[in-house]
Amino acid sequence: MSMLRLALPTKGWEDDVLRFLGQCGLRVDRSNPRQYRARMRGLPTGPAEVVFQRAADIFDEVNAGTVDLGITGYDIVAEHRSEEDDVIVVHGELGFRRCALVVAVPEGWVDVTSVSDLAEVAAELRVNGRELRVATKYANLTRQFLYDRGITYFELVEVSGAIEAAPALETADIICDITSSGVTLRENRLKMVSAGAVLESQACLIGNRRTLTDDDERMEATRAVLELMEAYLRSKQQVSITANIRGESAEAVARSALSNGGVAGLRGPTIARVFPKDNAENGLAAQGDWFALTVVVGEDVLLPTVEALRRAGASEVTATQVRYVFEHKSWTFEALKRQLHGPSDAQKTVARSSS
Amino acid sequence: MLGDRTAAPIQRVRGTNDVLPPDDARLRQLEGLLRQAFESFGYQGIQTPILEPLELFLRKSGDEIVARMYAFSHWNRKLCLRPELTASVMRAFVDDLQGHGLPLRLHYAGPSFRYERPSRGRSRQFTQVGVELIGASGPAADAEVLHLACASLESAGITRYRLVVGHLGAALQLLGQLGMSDHAQGLVLDQMEPIARGRVDLESALSRVVDLLGGAHASTNGVASAGVPSLPSALASLPPDQATAIAADILSRASLPVEGGSRQPRQIIQRLLAKAQRPDPTNQVRAAFEFVAELHDAGGPPERLATDLRPVLEKRGLSTAPVDEITAAVDLLRAYGPLSPEARIEVDLSLARGLRYYTGLVFEIYVDSDDGPLQVCGGGRYDDLVRALGGREAVPACGFSYGLERVDLARGTPTQLIPARPRVLVVGVTAADHPAAVSLAAELRSLGNVVVEQDLRLRGVKAALRYADRADVALVVILGERERADGNAVVRDMRSRTETTLPRADVQRAVGEALA
Repeated sequence: MSMLRLALPTKGWEDDVLRFLGQCGLRVDRSNPRQYRARMRGLPTGPAEVVFQRAADIFDEVNAGTVDLGITGYDIVAEHRSEEDDVIVVHGELGFRRCALVVAVPEGWVDVTSVSDLAEVAAELRVNGRELRVATKYANLTRQFLYDRGITYFELVEVSGAIEAAPALETADIICDITSSGVTLRENRLKMVSAGAVLESQACLIGNRRTLTDDDERMEATRAVLELMEAYLRSKQQVSITANIRGESAEAVARSALSNGGVAGLRGPTIARVFPKDNAENGLAAQGDWFALTVVVGEDVLLPTVEALRRAGASEVTATQVRYVFEHKSWTFEALKRQLHGPSDAQKTVARSSS
Repeated sequence: MLGDRTAAPIQRVRGTNDVLPPDDARLRQLEGLLRQAFESFGYQGIQTPILEPLELFLRKSGDEIVARMYAFSHWNRKLCLRPELTASVMRAFVDDLQGHGLPLRLHYAGPSFRYERPSRGRSRQFTQVGVELIGASGPAADAEVLHLACASLESAGITRYRLVVGHLGAALQLLGQLGMSDHAQGLVLDQMEPIARGRVDLESALSRVVDLLGGAHASTNGVASAGVPSLPSALASLPPDQATAIAADILSRASLPVEGGSRQPRQIIQRLLAKAQRPDPTNQVRAAFEFVAELHDAGGPPERLATDLRPVLEKRGLSTAPVDEITAAVDLLRAYGPLSPEARIEVDLSLARGLRYYTGLVFEIYVDSDDGPLQVCGGGRYDDLVRALGGREAVPACGFSYGLERVDLARGTPTQLIPARPRVLVVGVTAADHPAAVSLAAELRSLGNVVVEQDLRLRGVKAALRYADRADVALVVILGERERADGNAVVRDMRSRTETTLPRADVQRAVGEALA
C-alpha cells in the first residue's frame, strides 16, 4: 500500500497553499504549525503524506523521487529544469502566487526604456572596460533571455540576500528578479524595462515521472487530486442562479430565457416544473405553470443575467457560489497520462523565455 | 561496494553519440582521406583545445552561435566548449604563429559543441574537419579553398552536390549605406539566413529585429503627445553641452537624480539625447531585408551574375566588387580542373552563414537527398578576425570546414572506404598451449596486412570457432598439446571450412598465401 507523497512550500507560501488546498476540499492536518510532516485528507484513496519544504527545494525533491508531487512556483521549475530530469508539470496554473520574472534597472537610467537599450549600455560599459553586471537568482533564464535578445556581454552576479538592493549597493548594475506588484522595485528605486518580462509565473503542481508511472495507487490518488483542483479552478468566479419563472411550458420558458440575452450558462438552462404550495387552494392558475430555471454563469455577468431573467418573467432569483465544476473527465489527468506514457524525449523541452 | 544490487545504467548526454565499431573505423578513414587531400596542397595539421575562454566566441561569432554554446563558469573563469574551430585556430595564430611566413596553410579536425535540437545530421557534439588559409587574399586564395572543399569531397566519393557561393560584401555595403549601428547590423545579418531559406517570413523577422532595436518608437521617451516633440528630441537640437546641462537640471527638479551606480550621469544623458536623434529603425531594417530578398531572388548559376545580380547592386549605387570577386574566383576554380559532372554551382548573395566574422566570399556545399538538403560544408573569407582577436595587424584569411558526420551521412550506405584487413585468430587449446600460441600470433602479425587476434578466453577449440564465425575471421590457427609435440600447427580456413596440419615453420608462409 503506497501512500501518495506531496511536498508543500513553506516560508511565506504556506497560507496561500493551504487556503488553495482547502478550497479544493483537501485538508492538511498537522499537530502543530512547526511540524514538517502532516497528512492531507479529502481523497477517496485515503490520506496522503505531506512534507513541508522550501519552495526552491521542492523541485529537487520531486526530481529525486522522494516525493511524488509538489507545489512550487513555475519560475523555480523553469529555472531548474533540464532535459533529462524526471519532473513533469502536472498542472501549470494553480491560479495563485502570480508573479513575473523581470529585468529592472536603476530609475536614474533615464535613457533606458527597453531591453534593446541594455545591449547598447552593455557595449558602452565594455568600452570602459567593464561588463554589465546582472544580479539574479535565475541564472539560466536570465542568460537565455539576454542571449536571445542579442546581449552577450554581461556578467551574472550571485547575490546573497535582497536582489533589489544590489544596484544601490553597487554589487550589480541591474537585476532580474520576480515581482508581483512592482512595489519592492519602486521602493528600491528600480524600474522595469519594456519587453523585459522573462517569464510569467504562478503556483504549479509538479510530479515525478518514475514514481507515478510505477505505482497505480499513487496514480489513482493523483487523479483524485487533479479532479478536485481542476473542478475547483474551473468553478472560480462561477455562480449558479436559480429563478422561478411562470410560463406555458418548459419549452416556452427556455425560449423566452434564451431570447432575452445570455442566459445560456455552461451548456444551457435547466428547467424543472415547480408545484406551488397554494395550488390546491386556488385551483390551476390561468396564466400557466411555474418553472425553476437553473443556470451557471460567470460572476461578472451575474447582474445582467438577473436582469435578463426578470425580463423573461422571473420572480425570485437566488444565486450561490459554485464550488466545483466537473467535466466528463479530468483533462489534466488525461494530459498527465499522455506525458507519462508518451515518448519521453520528444515532448520535453527546456522551458525557455516567452519569446 | 554496491553489493548485489544492480546499479542503474548511466545514460549518455542527450544529443551526443557513442561511435561504435565499425562506424569509428569508417569515420576515422574518412577524416584521414580528407586530411590527406588537404596535405597534398601543403596544409599542415594543428590541434587546439576543446575548452576555450568564452570571450573568444563572444567577440565575433554572432548571437546565433553564442546563444547555443555550452558555457559555464569554473572557479570564476568563464569557459565554453568550442562551438567551431576557426576562432580557435585564429587564436592560436595570434598566440604563436604571427611571426610565421605567410601564407600559412593549416588543417584541423575535432569535436565541436552546440546546444541545438538534435535531428538528422545534427548532434550536439559533432566533428569539424577543415582548413584555414592565412595571409592570402583575393580570388586566387578564395579559389584554392573552393577547389579544396569540392575536390576533397569528391575524393570521399561524393560527386553529386551543390556549391552555393555568396559574398557578404553586398549586404555589408548596404547596411553601411543605411547607417545602421554595429548592433543593428549584427541583428540583420543573423536574420538573413532564416529569411533566405524561407524559415521565417520577412514581416516576422522585421518585427523581431525592430523589437530588439527598441521598437518603432525608440526615440519617444516618456509622455510625448502627438504633434509635440518629446523632451529629448527638443533638447537634441541644442548644442550638446547646453542640452546635457538642461536635461540634468530638469531631471533633478523632478527629483529623479541621475545616478546610475556605475554609470556617470553625463553618459546617461548623452545617450538619452543620442537616442532621441536616431531615426525609427523600421524603415532601415525593412530596406535591408527587402534587399536581402532581392539578392536571393536574383541568384542563380554563375553565368547569370553579370545580367541578374550586377544590376541589383548598381541600382543602389553599391560597388559591384562582390560580383567581380565571385566571377574571378569561380573562373579560377575551373582552372583547377572540371568538377564532377553531377556538381552544380549556384550564386546567392544573401548567403550569410550565421557567423558574424565573415567579410567577403562565403560558400556552402549541400548534398540533396529525399530527406531534403544536407549541408556538409561551409566556409568563407574573414579578413577582420585576426585584428578582433588581438593580432598585431590585419591578416586576410579564409577557410572552410566539413561536418564529418554529415559527410559520412551524405555518402549513403555506410561502407568502409578502405577494405578491412583479413582477420586471423590464434587459439591455444588449453592454458598450457597459450604461451606458444602467443609467440605464433606475434610471428603472424609481422606479415603486415593482416589482423591477428589471440584467443584469451581459453575455453577450447569449439568455443573459439564459434567466436571466429561471428567475428568474421578468415583463418584460425590452432595449437594443441599434440601439435606442439609434433612441431606442427593446424590452419583452419573458415571460408572453405577446411583444415590443414602444417609444420610450425611453414605456418606464416601458408597464412600469407591463403590471405593473398
